[in-house]
Amino acid sequence: MSFPTVSSHFVSEKISAVRWLPEQLQQSDRFVTGSWDMDQNFVRLYRLQSNQYADTNVDFVPRCNDKVAIEGDVTAMEFADKNTLAVSCADGHLSLLNMQRAVEEDQLQRTARSERLHYFKRTNKSSPCTDLSVYGGDIATVGEDGCVNIMNASNIKQVKRTIEADSMSLLSVCYISQQQLVTANRMGVIRILDARASTAAQEKISIMVGSKDEKRSNFVSALGTHPMQHHILLCGTEEGTITVWDLRNLQFPASYLSAHESAITDIAFHRNDPSKVFTAAEEGEVWMWSENKGIGDRNLQDGKSAWLSGDRLRSLVNVDGVLTRIRKAINSFDMNGPRLICGGDTEAVYLVDNIF
Amino acid sequence: MNDNTVSTFELGDALATRFGNTLTGVFVPGSKIALSAYRHVKWNSRDVPSETAGQDPVLIYLAQETTLFDEPVLRSLLAESNITFATLQELGQRAPRAEYLRISHMYRSVVRASLERLEHAKKSPEVQMDEERQQRISETVIVFYAAECLWHLFEILYMQQSQLIVPQLLDWARFYAPQIEDRATDFLLMAEEASENDDYWNVLKSLVMVGALDVTRAILRQNRKASQPAFKAAELILASMPVYKEGFPLKKFNSQWEHWHVDAERKIRANTFGSEPELEQILQLVTGSNEHWDAGIKESNEWYEFLPGYLFYTKPTCKPFELKIAAANWLNRWTLLRPCSQLNNMARMISQLMEHDLRLFIYDTQRINDTNWLTTHMIDLIYHSGELKSYFEQNNIDLPALRHSMIYEYGSYLMSTRSLWQLGIDYLDCCKQEGKAAMELLLPRISLRSDRHALKLMSVARKRGLIDVEQEICKVLSRQSFDDERYGNALEWGIRSKDVLLVTGIADFILKNYSQTGNMLCPDVIVHIKSRMFISPRLVFLSKYFEFYELYRSRDFLAAVELLVNLLNSKITPDYFWPSLLIDTVPLLESKDPKIFSNETVAILHHLETELVPIIERNTDKLGNQKNAETVFKDYRAENIDEILNILRLACARNLARSLVIENTSPES
Repeated sequence: MSFPTVSSHFVSEKISAVRWLPEQLQQSDRFVTGSWDMDQNFVRLYRLQSNQYADTNVDFVPRCNDKVAIEGDVTAMEFADKNTLAVSCADGHLSLLNMQRAVEEDQLQRTARSERLHYFKRTNKSSPCTDLSVYGGDIATVGEDGCVNIMNASNIKQVKRTIEADSMSLLSVCYISQQQLVTANRMGVIRILDARASTAAQEKISIMVGSKDEKRSNFVSALGTHPMQHHILLCGTEEGTITVWDLRNLQFPASYLSAHESAITDIAFHRNDPSKVFTAAEEGEVWMWSENKGIGDRNLQDGKSAWLSGDRLRSLVNVDGVLTRIRKAINSFDMNGPRLICGGDTEAVYLVDNIF
Repeated sequence: MNDNTVSTFELGDALATRFGNTLTGVFVPGSKIALSAYRHVKWNSRDVPSETAGQDPVLIYLAQETTLFDEPVLRSLLAESNITFATLQELGQRAPRAEYLRISHMYRSVVRASLERLEHAKKSPEVQMDEERQQRISETVIVFYAAECLWHLFEILYMQQSQLIVPQLLDWARFYAPQIEDRATDFLLMAEEASENDDYWNVLKSLVMVGALDVTRAILRQNRKASQPAFKAAELILASMPVYKEGFPLKKFNSQWEHWHVDAERKIRANTFGSEPELEQILQLVTGSNEHWDAGIKESNEWYEFLPGYLFYTKPTCKPFELKIAAANWLNRWTLLRPCSQLNNMARMISQLMEHDLRLFIYDTQRINDTNWLTTHMIDLIYHSGELKSYFEQNNIDLPALRHSMIYEYGSYLMSTRSLWQLGIDYLDCCKQEGKAAMELLLPRISLRSDRHALKLMSVARKRGLIDVEQEICKVLSRQSFDDERYGNALEWGIRSKDVLLVTGIADFILKNYSQTGNMLCPDVIVHIKSRMFISPRLVFLSKYFEFYELYRSRDFLAAVELLVNLLNSKITPDYFWPSLLIDTVPLLESKDPKIFSNETVAILHHLETELVPIIERNTDKLGNQKNAETVFKDYRAENIDEILNILRLACARNLARSLVIENTSPES
């Protein structure tokens, strides 16, 4: 077993989102970053190159191959297919960028920009688009206007459906199946929406995450689903707690775990190895939660994820700090095999190799 | 920049020139000055429009200190040095000396990495197109190159343990005069051919003078005549020169050194190198011949260029405190030989460092155009490492106070610059109360880009106990949402702000709106308020009323009645809502199967007479007769308040009768 190696690379930008380029048969060595809170925000395409300076133990250095200027803060990025990146922006628009992989310099190009998807009705001001989720070819965006917009990646000019889901800012969205998506608002209310139904026809299903202090709001800052068992929903909250829901049973949360001391900014199962969960927090931490194979055996025999085991969860998972003491928010991360990339307000990207 | 020159700018504002060219200025947050035309007005001047009023527009000019940090590439310098700064703060004042040296190395490598990035950026096509930016990058490179050079020298002289400084000084001088080494590399690659080059010997001399003896020897060995006795003898002398190593007994070294010196001079005097005058000059330099070094000085660009080399050949065991005298002497010599050349800033600062004149040095570093990056970080490092403590004490410099003020200024600058605020926080964190106060002022000034941005700011504020800032932000956002007619959002921000009046106001609005239109605003939010409602009694009322509203709509009448009666008895009902609340009882009172018991009916009647009627009377009194009370109580279900009163009284009477009959005839259990 090899130890994880961490290298940090300063990029002169606050990073709000980072994603590996999907590769079918090999380890990805390209990633994209989106910036926020800068005078001019960009989506940049980086490629890992072997380090020319031999005296350090850093194997790879990212080099920026191409960039595309975006009108406002980049709020989320997700790949719609192998070469198409959907980017949501704080000016309420959605953009599609196309990657062209090349031997020397990869290229990044904007191929489409949606109409203004999110705006405040009375003042007609743009509302930030806060998150997006992709399922198959469909893209769902949510904004501070409380609306959900669904469109197909082949034509983002045409919005297939707009659902006025909430009268509060929505902070996060996640597909759980082709037809269903979950949204989370600033008060910690999670709604399950039907992508096929209009606003009026929506069944009003909502659940609420717990909070340490009932009198405070506790927003859900990040949502993540299990890559195979879509009914398992992880919610990372403002307080740094993780609430796990089994969407087949909405009476009460399946598990509840206090984790970070600050707001969780991103949460996800590892795509290929769902026994691992990663969380990132506002105070500059990335943790890896791994299922404790030995003890949980009996439980895992029936294929039930440890994350649904309620109070026993704490004893079924181990937690390791992948990155700690960064001191400023890690806003986003992405895994690819044993590699993890993350970025945040330190204006650096951190590349962690051999995480397991 | 010179002390006596004050830079002047010309605005040429038309309005200002009309009135004797006077301007007035106000400081605005973010170290800006707002300038506008000004006319002096006295107590006896008449308050009339001036004769030229309206002819020229009133223009306001914003003057701002220029900063190199506008350059995006330089952000990494700020971000990286911020991390090093934080590491140093954690290290505290009691760490081993080597740790501080490591920090110093880190700072320098941060600068070097940025310089590399800048050079790289300068070559990018994007920058090549933009002449202004190219110019700016060039300036930046010069500034930070100097900063790194000074820091390096400072590190050699004051940060490290070693008393042996000559080898490090040589490295230092060579690093900042790379052109000589570049030429040397060319020569090495050209091998034999090099000896025909016109400035072959000049380059060799320079190489010797910067102390690059190994390279000189390598080049000499490649000379066409290398096999001749003169060259062989020279090689022997150069190779046998003793080099002082740390820990070697000083006496023993000195005697070796003396011996070598006498031997070399004897060989030169014996005219061993008569056939090769150029080679002889080189050896003269190595043996420290003043005459030849003087010639070298005349060739040099900067006074400090050959000083380390000279020390290497004449005083290889020079200690830091001896350097002071050596440097002063050397500088004198240099100015005597080159009377017309002036010292530039950097040269002056180097001499200040070498002559241990740190007071002036610190003064001068503050005038480098780097927004005090260098001074702040260097002073902080000095403070933590505890080096030079006695120096500052002797010179009556209050180091902690100096550090405090530098960090405070630098932190405030970052805080007030858009998108650098997160870096500024770390600096202000070390400034105790002043830092906290500055944050309290500056945080709310950051313009909010989105909810996420606001939430980040709030978590920063909360972590530092700046509750007011957090609540201020919430209040602003609540207000904004309210104006956008996003009441659910406004309510949530209101709850976060913990401002009772604000929440009460929003709840009032929602209740009034309901009583006027029958529409409940943002039901999806109200239903989830739950125990957060306790922030304001009005919100409690709203939530409870909403609960009733939902029960009623789902036709769970018995539970609805219970809740309604509780609400009536709760004493938190706002005056304006009494009519609506009581009207809600009508269908329940009048329903076919009785739902309200006699006692409760009496209670309703009681409330009707003791709450609603007095309110109506009060309002009628206040408004007089010309305006009817119904304008005050507008419920969408009734046009006239008197009518409501009648209906209610009748309904109560009917239900009371009914319920009394039922209650008293039902079989006793």
